[in-house]
Amino acid sequence: MAKFAFYPGCAAKGASKELYESTVAVAEKLGIELVELPQFSCCGAGVLEEIKEAVDLAVNARNIAYAEREGLDIVTVCSTCLLVLKRTKYLLDNDEDLRKEVNEILSEAGLEYRGTVDVKHFHWVLLEEFGEEGLKEKVVKPLTGFKVYPYYGCHTVRPESILGFESSENPQSLEKIIKALGAEPVSGERRLECCGFHAFWPAPRMSMKLTGLNLLDAKKSGANCLTTPCPLCHMNLDANQSRALKEVGESFKMPVLHLPQLVGLALGIEPKKLGLHRNIVPVNC
Amino acid sequence: MEKREVLFRIRRFNPKRDEKPYYQEYRLTVPKGMTVLEALQQIKDTQDPTLAFRAFCRSAICGSCAVKVNGFPKLACKTQVFNELDKFGTDTLTLEPLDNMDVIRDLIVDWDRPFKRMEEMKPWLVPDPEVVPKTLDEESRVYPRELKKFDQFTDCILCTSCYSSCTATQLDDGYGGPFQLARVYRFAVDPRDALKAERSKIGYAFDMWNCVRCNKCADVCPKHVSPVDGIMKLRGLSIEVGLKDNPGARHVMAFYKSLLESGMLNEVLLPLRTKGVKGVLENLPVGIKMILKGKAHSPVMKPIAEHETLVKVMKVAMEVE
Repeated sequence: MAKFAFYPGCAAKGASKELYESTVAVAEKLGIELVELPQFSCCGAGVLEEIKEAVDLAVNARNIAYAEREGLDIVTVCSTCLLVLKRTKYLLDNDEDLRKEVNEILSEAGLEYRGTVDVKHFHWVLLEEFGEEGLKEKVVKPLTGFKVYPYYGCHTVRPESILGFESSENPQSLEKIIKALGAEPVSGERRLECCGFHAFWPAPRMSMKLTGLNLLDAKKSGANCLTTPCPLCHMNLDANQSRALKEVGESFKMPVLHLPQLVGLALGIEPKKLGLHRNIVPVNC
Repeated sequence: MEKREVLFRIRRFNPKRDEKPYYQEYRLTVPKGMTVLEALQQIKDTQDPTLAFRAFCRSAICGSCAVKVNGFPKLACKTQVFNELDKFGTDTLTLEPLDNMDVIRDLIVDWDRPFKRMEEMKPWLVPDPEVVPKTLDEESRVYPRELKKFDQFTDCILCTSCYSSCTATQLDDGYGGPFQLARVYRFAVDPRDALKAERSKIGYAFDMWNCVRCNKCADVCPKHVSPVDGIMKLRGLSIEVGLKDNPGARHVMAFYKSLLESGMLNEVLLPLRTKGVKGVLENLPVGIKMILKGKAHSPVMKPIAEHETLVKVMKVAMEVE
């Protein structure tokens, strides 16, 4: 059985509880063992770099160091956590001087970064562990007739030099999973566009406009719902949906599912266990 | 040698003659290894002498041949046709001019706007008289450790690929732009510069906090520069020089505080800490919805296990140079 150090991130532990619930339910159903390390801290969502890069790197090298102690690869369900942790790993693995400096900081707390574990996104793990065919075999309630908009957003694909799981210009991981579940991925022109989440505080209108345009594209493509591997994109697309649509002069309801919620439905997990009742835009299933 | 029949869909536009842009199709036999620029030149030589594109060095150093290939900015001279076909599993290449700029003709865009913007931001060295000698008899030394801070940004060739793909540039006329802001950072950390961190105020005036961190700039740069990293660090310098009372800087400090307090982000206090009462009021409707759906945590958070190692690491990291 595949075993990982589970890094849920602050969103899944807080305002996106349903992501935590659905991930745990799906992992259990598929026999993926997720060990949540109690020492894991917030990754800083990239904003720690804005205080000082050393703080960003030290905090995340600390997170990775705890996973290394357990000898487990990290799996996360947040795209931004993924990029922040991967970036730390990329910089430390490719720059010996920097690694030495960061390890000097960590040694003050009795820790060491060695670079022995990998960092992955949950949906990458689904494809790596089972493949499309393997996933298909696990499906008990195929989502036949469902048209799903595969919304990637930014931080599972860009920059490809750091993330490297798939092409940042033509990724297919979400399409593959959607197909394996028996649903149909629609071709979304804005599937790789930003939702604006990270500029929400300084520039709320710009942020909402981006989200509104993405939702509008999903509507135009004939999608029944939208799925995303990122809780931050989800926050903008789901919780802030009416505000975002107002910014582009629209008003409709487009259900937005965390990827594990979509997978869970096809695996026959009851909606309550997937936290579907917590989504702001109602999901009728 | 392997050859393929390729359909090139090229966006054409002559503002003097055409009402709007249109796509023209050309077929070409492409041998393995042929670049997009070589293909363009062959189409121009053998099929259509009116096709306009810009190119000069053919060695990925002058930055003049950037175009969109299947939607993504690339240097035509550095990009092989086969690689792009394979990536998209197709025999068709769509070539278009870069975005966020006016088209002069076909694949040629007007660079005036991004370059004027760059000039407004003064990204050139203002020598620090205490560091830079007055005569050329003495050297002005930059040590490797110092160079490391800005080395990557000196590789920018002004091809405007990042500017073309930039999300904030598309929506905010006041935004400085990715390569421009990265260049401001480049001089802000140059030990020979007189203005140094004060330059971050220029970044602030040019909306640097509006960068959405989509990382497109880092992804498309043909010289492997990551403008977004420069922008993040320029934000940090602005906090250092005292630009602290704005939503961007307050958001940063809210994270920092949360980590010191419990190790996890305190989402409930984030609106208040970032934007004060206004932040709370603006987000009240969605906040109430979230509370009703059981999505809010308690404002008092329990610290993570071994929180003391986090606090220690953060404090030491803040002190190191």
